[in-house]
Amino acid sequence: MIRMSLRQFRIQALVGAFLLVLAAIYLVRLGGDIRAVRDTSQLPSQYGQTMLFLAAGFGLVPALVGAFWGAPLIARELETGTHRLVWNQSVPRRRWLAVKLTVLGLASMAVAGTLSALLTWAAVPVDQVAGDRFSAILFGARGVAPIGYAVFGFTLGAVTGLLVRRTLPAMAMVFLAVIAVQVAVPNLLRPNYMPAERVTVSMSADTINQARALGSITGGPVVKGVEIPDAWVTNTSRLLTPDGRQLSDAAFNECFNNAPKTGATGRFGDTAVCLGKLDLHVDMAYQPNGRFWPFQWIELALHLGISALLAAVGLWRVQRRVS
Amino acid sequence: METPLVLHAERLTKRYGRRTALTDCDLMIPRGHVVGLVGPNGAGKSTLLQLACGLLAPTAGTLSVLGSRPAANAAHLARVGFVAQDTPVYASFSIADHLRMGAWLNPSWDPALAKRRIAEVGLDPAQKAGRLSGGQRAQLALAIAAAKRPELLIFDEPAAALDPLARKGFMRGLVEFVGELGASAVLSSHLLSDVEQVCDYLVVLCDSRIQIAGPVRDLLASHHRIAGDPARMAAAVEVIWAERGRALVRGDAAARDGAAARDAEPVTLEELVLAYMSRAAGAGAVPRASAAVAR
Repeated sequence: MIRMSLRQFRIQALVGAFLLVLAAIYLVRLGGDIRAVRDTSQLPSQYGQTMLFLAAGFGLVPALVGAFWGAPLIARELETGTHRLVWNQSVPRRRWLAVKLTVLGLASMAVAGTLSALLTWAAVPVDQVAGDRFSAILFGARGVAPIGYAVFGFTLGAVTGLLVRRTLPAMAMVFLAVIAVQVAVPNLLRPNYMPAERVTVSMSADTINQARALGSITGGPVVKGVEIPDAWVTNTSRLLTPDGRQLSDAAFNECFNNAPKTGATGRFGDTAVCLGKLDLHVDMAYQPNGRFWPFQWIELALHLGISALLAAVGLWRVQRRVS
Repeated sequence: METPLVLHAERLTKRYGRRTALTDCDLMIPRGHVVGLVGPNGAGKSTLLQLACGLLAPTAGTLSVLGSRPAANAAHLARVGFVAQDTPVYASFSIADHLRMGAWLNPSWDPALAKRRIAEVGLDPAQKAGRLSGGQRAQLALAIAAAKRPELLIFDEPAAALDPLARKGFMRGLVEFVGELGASAVLSSHLLSDVEQVCDYLVVLCDSRIQIAGPVRDLLASHHRIAGDPARMAAAVEVIWAERGRALVRGDAAARDGAAARDAEPVTLEELVLAYMSRAAGAGAVPRASAAVAR
């Protein structure tokens, strides 16, 4: 049954291997280029954008694996009726599915593991200087977590194909679902793997000027992108007054629109000075960078666990009723 | 050690949602026959065969094949060969790939048998299965099912989509395999001519129910065509279907001794099947039964 799985997987495997080789060549060259930079302090400004771009592209790997390796695996058999041929050979249906899931699941892990190892290696000098590999986007493109994503994407694809029974709809559904999960996990799940550390940061004019943005489209006394050294900030409260209440929109807008002219030169100029005088603070939650590897393993285990559940659903379903 | 029964159904029922495909079917088919399963389209033939090879599970009742639950385990799967409707094959696989698949997936695979068969029907092993004609595809599916040397071969409308020549070739192959393997076979068809040629056991399935089942010889011996008014016939004779002053009746001795004895004539298999189908259709079911039986 292993040989049968490999034979059916041949073309997809060749396409995957081809793309993998291309990506590997690029990453090896990137790693070389990065190591050729003499002044390492320049690395974040030179390669920071590339790293974000690569991490975002990396997020497509599990979606592609799910759509092109996972979804057609069973859906195509059901669509073309060949399940009626293969299920009447001397291999029970459950074993048939278990072997297929194992073979292609391992291939997915190998692809994601290789890519992640290369990218992690290439990025080491940049990460050392920037210290931001724990951030929401980069975290998923480093270490062992991507292996979990790929297995999850593949298994979700295979089981969706089994339930939907049609290849193209299953591919589209899986592609979108995996991307949705990739967005949801860093924002909703990952901050809670371990209890967050909390800290209150007073908002002086200087601190405000180090933030990335003030205010939001929907209005409100919001400050965005306040950093804590060596940590991944998972939550920042709105601007709070000394008595712990939220700064009123009116007071915030007053500083935002009609700050007294002082000739301040910071990023937010007079607004920062005006807000700074109000003795404001924010409550922040963060995960220290030391937790990077525990979080990597937790994320891997989580995705492997969900994959195992999905596979169990598939094995139950394939025996119960199909055809 | 071996159960004598190829198929044993007890009150077998299969429903798809609200539609009932099989209702309370009781069936006991002994080994060593080529069984023809006939009935109009939509009668439940395909459902019965897919239940027999484990592609479907019954809603109620039981079905055992060669003495155990269909597709119970690998060993049982090896004992039953199934050729599905429209004979699906892997379009991207060559014929040789299919034979390799058979060898990989079946411990009992007979490579010589498969190769010989492919050569006999003039197929090129290097050819992609997606480019085969319907007849060639059916031959390939037949070779795959037979080369695992099963004790029972099940064919679900194998020849329905084939032209007469391809159908003839397929049927000949089927009979040869059954003989060579010493296997039993069950074959569904709405083409009576196929069944007449190769089957020695008949099951008529109409309107989700088994109408009659038995060895063809016994069925022909126990049914007669009689002229006259069915109402005057002996009580022991069961009228299956009557029209235009003629009736097809069942009841061996009674028919000879009855009032209409002089006129009792033997029936053909076609008349017999049509009579049962007409009766099932007349009983308030699908009135297209006889139209669907094409010769």
